[in-house]
Parts: sequence; structure tokens; C-alpha cells
Amino acid sequence: MVHAPADHVVATLRRLLDLALAWESPEGLRPLSIVGDCLIGGVEAGVSGLRPRSPHPRPATELLAVIETLTPAARALLDHVIDGGGSAKSGSARVGLRVEDAETPAELLIAHRLLVPAGSLQPGLLVVPGEVGLALRSGRTTVHPVDEPPALATAPRPARLTSSASVGAATDVVRRTGLLLEWWGTRPASALRTTGLGVRELKATAAHLGISEQEAALVIEVASEAGLAATRADADGNPVWVPTDEFDRWRDRPVAEQWTVLARAWLASPRLPSLVGERGPDQKPWNVLTPELSASGMPEAKTMVLELLAGLPDGEGLAAGTGLPSLVARIAWERPRRPRTRPDLVAWAVAEAAVLGLVGADVLAPYARALVAGEDPTPVLAALLPPPVDHVLLQADLTAVAPGPLEPDLARRLEQVADVESHGAATVYRFTAGSVRRALDAGWTVAEIHAFVLAASRTPVPQPLTYLVEDVARSFGRLRVGAAAAFIRSDDEAALVGLLNHQRASTLGLQRIAPTVLISSVPIEVLLPRLREIGAAPVVEGPDGVVRVGAVDGLRARTPRTREAADAARAAARHAAHVTSAVRSVREGDEEARSRPASASAPGGGVLSALREAVERRGAVIIGFTDNQGVVAERTVRPLVVEGGQLLARDEDAADDDPDAERRYAVHRISRVVPVG
Amino acid sequence: MSDGPLIVQSDKSLLLEVDHELAAECRKAIAPFAELERSPEHIHTYRLTPLGLWNARAAGHDAEQVVDTLLTYSRYPVPHALLVDVAETMSRFGRLRLEKHPTHGLVLTSTDRPVLEEVLRAKKVAGMLGARLDPDTVVVHASERGNLKQALLKIGWPAEDYAGYVDGEAHAIALAQDGWTLRSYQAEAAESFWHGGSGVVVLPCGAGKTIVGAAAMAEAQATTLILVTNTVSARQWKDELIRRTSLTAEEIGEYSGTVKEIRPVTIATYQVVTTKRKGVYPHLELFDARDWGLIVYDEVHLLPAPIFRMTADLQARRRLGLTATLVREDGREGDVFSLIGPKRYDAPWKDIEAQGWIAPADCIEVRVSLPHVSRMVYATAEPEERYRLAACTPEKLGVVRELVAKHAGQPTLVIGQYLEQLDELATALDAPVITGQTPVKERQRLFEGFRSGEIGLLVVSKVANFSIDLPSAEVAIQVSGSFGSRQEEAQRLGRLLRPGEPGPDGERKVAHFYTIVSRDTVDAEFAQNRQRFLAEQGYAYRIIDAEDLGSTPSADQV
Repeated sequence: MVHAPADHVVATLRRLLDLALAWESPEGLRPLSIVGDCLIGGVEAGVSGLRPRSPHPRPATELLAVIETLTPAARALLDHVIDGGGSAKSGSARVGLRVEDAETPAELLIAHRLLVPAGSLQPGLLVVPGEVGLALRSGRTTVHPVDEPPALATAPRPARLTSSASVGAATDVVRRTGLLLEWWGTRPASALRTTGLGVRELKATAAHLGISEQEAALVIEVASEAGLAATRADADGNPVWVPTDEFDRWRDRPVAEQWTVLARAWLASPRLPSLVGERGPDQKPWNVLTPELSASGMPEAKTMVLELLAGLPDGEGLAAGTGLPSLVARIAWERPRRPRTRPDLVAWAVAEAAVLGLVGADVLAPYARALVAGEDPTPVLAALLPPPVDHVLLQADLTAVAPGPLEPDLARRLEQVADVESHGAATVYRFTAGSVRRALDAGWTVAEIHAFVLAASRTPVPQPLTYLVEDVARSFGRLRVGAAAAFIRSDDEAALVGLLNHQRASTLGLQRIAPTVLISSVPIEVLLPRLREIGAAPVVEGPDGVVRVGAVDGLRARTPRTREAADAARAAARHAAHVTSAVRSVREGDEEARSRPASASAPGGGVLSALREAVERRGAVIIGFTDNQGVVAERTVRPLVVEGGQLLARDEDAADDDPDAERRYAVHRISRVVPVG
Repeated sequence: MSDGPLIVQSDKSLLLEVDHELAAECRKAIAPFAELERSPEHIHTYRLTPLGLWNARAAGHDAEQVVDTLLTYSRYPVPHALLVDVAETMSRFGRLRLEKHPTHGLVLTSTDRPVLEEVLRAKKVAGMLGARLDPDTVVVHASERGNLKQALLKIGWPAEDYAGYVDGEAHAIALAQDGWTLRSYQAEAAESFWHGGSGVVVLPCGAGKTIVGAAAMAEAQATTLILVTNTVSARQWKDELIRRTSLTAEEIGEYSGTVKEIRPVTIATYQVVTTKRKGVYPHLELFDARDWGLIVYDEVHLLPAPIFRMTADLQARRRLGLTATLVREDGREGDVFSLIGPKRYDAPWKDIEAQGWIAPADCIEVRVSLPHVSRMVYATAEPEERYRLAACTPEKLGVVRELVAKHAGQPTLVIGQYLEQLDELATALDAPVITGQTPVKERQRLFEGFRSGEIGLLVVSKVANFSIDLPSAEVAIQVSGSFGSRQEEAQRLGRLLRPGEPGPDGERKVAHFYTIVSRDTVDAEFAQNRQRFLAEQGYAYRIIDAEDLGSTPSADQV
């Protein structure tokens, strides 16, 4: 019955027996009951239309004869239902007709008992009886043979293109990861409350790396998975993403090793960066690094994709267009019980592998083959990478071009003196006044810069560059900045020198910054009395440069603002209004208390009858009830209807504002009812 | 891994190592689709832009060729995304075509229906298209040919124009090659323009763009309208045409502020064409005055906006743009592409210099330190005044005087921006001055005197920036410029690059280009921007301090 050669079926059954998933019962081979439950039909199970048979199955020949007589529309519908898993909704189709009365294709199928109601548990659901499906598949459970894995659609690719594409992508992803983390090191990315990264940060990152947001999301996720980035609190205590100390070690390793770290992290990662930007079930877009953004099936999908690609002959890659669906079908065959999201997972795995350089032009790269096989891909990749260069070419337009990947140490030093203008296999640096100043700030001397540039360059240093460095150095440090709490100024230089050398002035932290200016590290409130003690006669200069002569002002507080007369009148009116309303409330309370009968609360079930009675006599009652906040309250209401455990009543208390104010109260919350009047 | 001369960067720039043995071959291979961005000594930078790739498509190259070229010459792996992008961009060109329909006139057709549908729904092209004839063809209003092309380029689906050109009124024009011949690159440029139909020829200043124009006219054999920047340049075009072609003075008309002649070949200035009175352009009649067969735009990178609008209506006529650089400070390169046409010919300056057609130049920046008083004045000046103050500092006078003395006997131009400064310099140096106020006749007399060697020193304002042929100039001293304009720098340097006659000992002239800037001011910042352009063109420059000029400071230098 299974669409496969007999020996294959026997072998499979034997295996099932060995695994104790089936057992030999007196009636024959039976699966464990739990296995059947696990394999309940549906498209996902891959056994389309394998449905319970009807109690009195008709023989296949009779069924085929009936099917022969169907109209083309009904036949197409039948095929469609079987392809869709063998069940359908009855919709408006009538059930229990004779063949002659059937008007629509669906009714015709029902009349022929090719579609039967599924049973009382699932009203409106129709199923194709198992024997019908089997008859249509000429006695087999599936249309396609189940023992042959679906073939992958492949196409040959020129080797030049594939190796170039994958190695290019691999170096790019390593470079971008480095770039990203260096950037975060100086400008940490602020994290969201969920530890994810906001949309704006992602946009900025993508712009900085010069790639799309999707790719940036992948780079960020991989960096985090590889343990190269983590969150910490910044100076204000807000969480930010910064590189880890592991990054410093990673940075100093050769490119091939760096790539291996990233690739391993990616392969084991359940993260779904490809979902970033899509909207989640709550209609909010997914953010990068959000903890929920992962799927346990992802690592398996990645491994399977790579393993299948590794199985292809050399130079063959997935065919454009048909390649991906065939890969999905193959993985569905190998793992039939995987969830609905599988096509997405596989597609993402392929796309991400291409970005990471595991796959180039849909062909698995040789070093990725090593990675899949569990070997170390580093030497394979290293052999394919261009050798690092140890020099740059300096040009008169103040650029330096490294015609290949620079040695990391040289690159880092060059980045201090010059700005990077163009990234890629080669790097273009530009010297600007700003970049040279940065180097001087970092402690380089002019001679060091000259020597470094001369040593790094294979070409003569152009004169404008030498001039630029000299020119920047000339103006470097022309302005000096420092901190001081107060200054002392005098035209009498001798007096200042005297003060500076005065014994008792040593605690004042005085420093002479110009012949006529001293600065002090103590604030003016301390400085002034001390100077007077020493015997100097200082005056205070205001921020506007004007001298303030005279004694220091005595302590004064600010006069509080007096309330104006109009305010007082308004307050008096407000007070009078308060009193009036309080008196009115008291009086109303008195009146109600007077009219209230002695037996305050109706007991137990009395509430309901008291309410019904009030409805009948259309009278008002006072109800005591507990509201939603658990506060016990009292209201005067005129009950209208009591039904379904609810009281609909007009609120007499609110009747002044809104005569039709009708409210609902839950009867069980009403504790007592007191008739009024 | 091959050992090619090319490095393909992921930001779409291409680095070409000049000293590599395959460099020349590679340059030839990538030139059709990549724009030369910088050409300093060792590594030239090209860039892949959509316009460049479409230019290549227009010239008949396809994406496979481009990708193959990149892979062949690249030293390192080429980023796959870039190759995909190249193929995708190039495939955008030519999916839409403008064609002539036998009964419906101008139509837009497409080989890719979804693209046509997308375009039909675009707001930008609404109103330019008429009835839909069949699923792949839409009528285009004949008057919208140019506007439609412009709009389609903006939405990223540039149309290929197959609608052809009108022949225009025939007029016999022949090159009179007596005693001179067309240089090989000029002939190539004229030819590739003619086969392309319309487009732009990019040649360095001094490389003889006028001759390319004349050669194109000789191919067209039709009445021609030539649009130039100013009157002096119009006269030069006229003289050159009389000298180089069979045209006589009677056949060439001038249409400018003073004279309004319309002849088989008419030379008009941008200024007169774009003059607006009471909201209308009174001189538009010029475009309809004759059935022009060819329109030549001189200095196409300066084309003012109204001319673009007028050009949009002239799409049925052949158009030739001439320029030294496609760089526009206003970034309207796309309009040049869609309205005038794609780039048809381009040659790097240095190549033409190596062939001896333009003179090599020695560029020197002289930095003047401002004295204390001037620095105080500068520091307290309003921001808008600062550039003028820095550029016009009297310190420059001493330097100019020194330089003039140093190059005594060599024809020298002093170029500046501010009239007061120029007048001052002229008085101090005892040299004639030419500014916008100088009458045309006087200007021509002075230029003539300079050419013949009677006058050895001229002080000129920016009127001399463009199209003025002063082949004898050997030294230019730039004292101020219009802020950081790069193309002004190119034009000014261009004044010096026309090769003179070789000297008696066979040595060719080396031009000297001095720029005098005030140290630590905005003047120096602007100068940096302009110099970067020179350096990118491959002109190494030096910076020296005024004190190091080598001679004793003159008496009036503080």
C-alpha cells in the first residue's frame, strides 16, 4: 500500500519494531497508540488524504466507476480536497441529497458519498473517506514514492564566480563586524528596555556599515552570539551595547580565525535576524537582539541546508528560482514533522549563509565544507585569502591607499593618523587636518608621524602631506584649557609674585598663568577671607567684569509673594460654596435616614426578591454594593429590569445631570436593598 | 587569485594601480562604464554609478561584459552584491524605448510589461503620456519627449531614445584642413558623438573642443546653433570656425546682447537666451528661427536651468555637449544625461598631456601669513565678510610682485575675483585690467595684444575663466576665487594648458600655476577644496610659505 518497493517497506517496518515504535499484536502489526496520535493528518504530515475509512468501504473498482461519472468540476474539486489534506468545510452545500438533486460539484460529491460528514464532534467538516483517497492513488497512501528523497534542482556555476563571491563575503563580514564593534566602543548603542536595539540605532548602524538594515541586523546578532558584544550600563545607568573584552582578543587574530569564530557562532545560533523589521503577532516590529527573536529549529535548519549543499558535486549550486523550493522539499522529506515555519527558516538560512560567506553564488565554499564536516575551516580559508600587505601608497591628494588587507597593527596605527574613506579588499585613507590633530591628541609627536608615514609608504611622501602635518602641529595647542575655581588679577606683577610665594597662601592652590593673572583651586568664598587674613585687599569682580565694592551683603531671604486681593475674594467665594454643599449633603443624608425603615438589609436571597418587587412597583431603592475596585458604596436607584444576574437601574443620584442615566449592577455584588419612601 | 591591476571596493569604487603592467589595458576596458573620479600619481579611482552604467548600455555594452571585465582584472574577490547590483542597474536601461510609430507618432514601448505599468502609475510622468495603444505601447505627447526622459531617469527607468532626429535644413560645411589636421582623439570624439546621435564629449581645457564641434558640424552638414557662455567666447568660436572650416564670415551669425543675427550657423550666448522680460523669454524665437540640424552646447557643465527646460523641447534635434568636466556644483549631471545625452567620449587629462596636446603644469600654493593687525580685523569680522577680507589682504600684493618679477619675460595672467583688489593690483603692477565692465572691443584688443606678446602681464577677473583662448599664457597667479568652486579651478588652469610652440631648443613650455592664499583663514580652507580637485586630476602641487619664495621681501611688505 505504501508507495515504495516491498523490501524498503519491510526494512522500514523492521526498524520501527527495533525502535519499539510498533509491536506485533495478535491482529498483526500495530503502532504504539501514542505514535498514531503524533501522526494526526494534515498537510504537514505528508500523508495527504489518509483519512479514516467509512464503516462499510466500497471496493476500489466500484469507487473508480463512480468517480468516472463525475462532472469535470466535481472531479477537480475532489482532487483539490485530497491535495489539501482530505477535509473540507461544508459551507452552504446541503447534506443528504440524492444524486439527481445535486446542484453544485460539492453536493454531487456528497451525494456520491465521496465526501462524508466527519462526525458530530466537528460539525460542518466533511472528509474524504480513506478508501476513496486510496483508490485514487491506485491503492497507495501517497502520490509520490516515499523512499526516494526529492532531488535538488541544481545548476553549474563558474568556479571563478563562486570562490570570489564567498571569500569576498567572508572578508566583508569580518571587516564589518570589526567596524561595528570599534564604532560601538567609542559610541555605545543604547539598548531598549527589552535589551533589544531600537530601530533608529539599527538604521544608524546600517548607514555606518554601508549595508542594508537586514544585513546589519545579521552582523549585530552574530557579533552578540559570538560573545563579542554585550550590554552594560553607561555613565547615566542606561543599558548600552558595547564590545566585550573578548573582542580585543578577537581583533588581534588573523582574518580566517576571526571568520571561524563568527561562522561557528552563527551555525549554533537559534536567532532569527531575518525577521527584524517584520511585524510580530502584536503588530510591533521585531527589534534586533530582542530575546524572543529566536527559534529552536533554526540551528538544525542551518546545519541541514549546509549538509545538503555539501552533498552536491563540485561547481554545482542551487538553481536560480527552483533551487530553494527543491531544498525545502528535500528537508521536508528528511524531517517530515517539522513545523509550518520551515520554508522560512530554510530560506533565511540560505540567505544568511550567503552574507556570511559560507555560500557563494549558491555553492558551498570549500572552507564551509570543512566547517560542516566538523573540521577546522581556518587553514582552508586562510589559503584563499589575499596575503596581508605591509605598505600603503601615498598620493598628492592626501590619500593613502592600502592595495590589499593591511596588517592589523599597521591598520590600527594608520587609522589614528588618517580617516578611512573607502572600505573593501583595499582601504583608502585620507589625511585631514582633523585626523592629524587626532593623532597629536593621542600623543604622537610630529617626528613620529613623519617617521611612521615614511616607513609605511612605498612611494615618496608628497610635499603637501608633510606640509599638512607641520601646519597642524604649528597650531596644535595654541589654545590652552584648564580648570580653576577663582582667579586673581592685578596689574602689580610684584604683588602677585609676593602672594604666590607667601607662606600662608600655600593651601590656596595658586598658579601663575600669566604675569598678571593667578588662578586658585579654592572657591571664591574661601579665597576672599583667606586673602584678607594674609593682608591683601581684594575686591570681587562680577561675571560682567564690573568691580563690586563694599561689604558682602547680609543674609536675606526672598520676600514671599503676597496673595492679591482678587485671589482672596475668589477663595472666600469658594469657601462659601464648600460650606453650602456640605450642609446640603448632611441634610439629604438626614432625610434619607429618616425615611429608611428599621430593618436595614434584606437577608440572603431577599436581595433578588426585593429588587423584583421594586421593579414591579417602579419604586426607588437604596442598594449597598461592592464596586469593581472593591469599595463598598451606596446608591439610590430605580430598578428597571433584573435578568441574567444583572440589575439594570436608573441612577437617581446621577439623575440631576442625566435623567436617563442607566447603569448595570451585578446582583451578586449587591449586599442589601432598602426601599425608599 | 589573479594579480590584476584593479581592486573592486564594496562601496562601488574601483582602484586602478597605474604602475601595473596591465593598467593601460584595464583602463580601456573599464572606461566605458566607470567614471574616473580621481587620478593622482599611483592609484586612480573610478566609480560605478547608475549613470555610468547606463552610459555603457547606451554605448552597447551589456552587464555580462562589465562583470567579466571586473572579474578579469580584479586582484581580489569581487563582492557578489556588487555584481548583482551592476547587472540589476544595467538591466533597467532600455526596458523602455521611445520610438516612432508609423501612425501615432512618438510612442513609449516596453519589453517588460510590469515596468510599463509601474511607470504609468508614477506621479512624475502623469500627463506626459496619452492613450494606450496596446499592452506594451503608450502614446507620448510629442512636446514631452525631453521631460519624459528626464522624469523616467528620476524614477530609475531611463528610456532609450530610438525616435531618431530630424535632418534639419541642409547646409554645406567642410573642414578646411590646410596646414593642420584633426588630432586622433578629436576625430574619435566627433565620430563617436555622430554614431551615438546625441551626447557629451568630455575633453580637458585646451584640448581643442571647438575643433570637435567643427568636425561634428561637418558631419551634420546642416544649419547649426551654437550656445556659448559669453560674447568673447562667441567671437572666438566665430574666428575659429572661419579658420578651420569652409564657412565664411557671412554664413556665421552672432546672437548676443548687442547683435541679433540669424544665419545658417548662429552663435548665441546663454545669457541672451535666458534673459527674461515680464516673465517670458523673448529670445526663444531663436530656437524656432531655423530648422536647426545640430545644436552645440559649449561648457555644458555650466548650462543654466532655463536652457535645460528649452532643451527638453528640442529632443528631435541632434545635440552635442562640450565640456572639460561633467562635475556640476549643482549636481544636475542626471539632467545632462537625459536631455543632452550620454557621455560619448572622455579622455583623461594626463593622457592628452602625455601625447603633447596640452602643456604640463606646475601648481604651487603660496601661503601668506597675515600680520597681527590683519588677523585681528579678520577675527572680529562678520562671517560673510571674512572670505573677502582674507582673499584681499594687501600682503598678497608683495607676493604677486615677487612672482611677476621671477617670471619676467613670460606672459603672465593675474586672476582674481574682487574688482577692488584687481584694480589695486593693476595699479601696483602697472598692468592693464580686464573685468566685466571692460567694453568687448577693449577686451579683444587687450587679449590680442597679450596673444601677440605686446602685453606681458594682464590682470583679469572671472570673465577670463571660460573659453578665452590665450595660448601664450605661461604663468597664472590666482589671488582670489569664487569660494571653493572646483570647476573654476579647472577652467583657470585650463587657461594655461594650451600648448605653445616648442621653444628653439625643442623644449616645451611648462605652465606655472600659483595660488596665493592667506594662512589660517577660510581662504585656505577653500583653497584646499580646489587643490584637492587638482591633485585628483593628477597635478601634483606644492605648498610653500611666502617667506620661502626665495627672494628678499619687497619694501612694502610688512
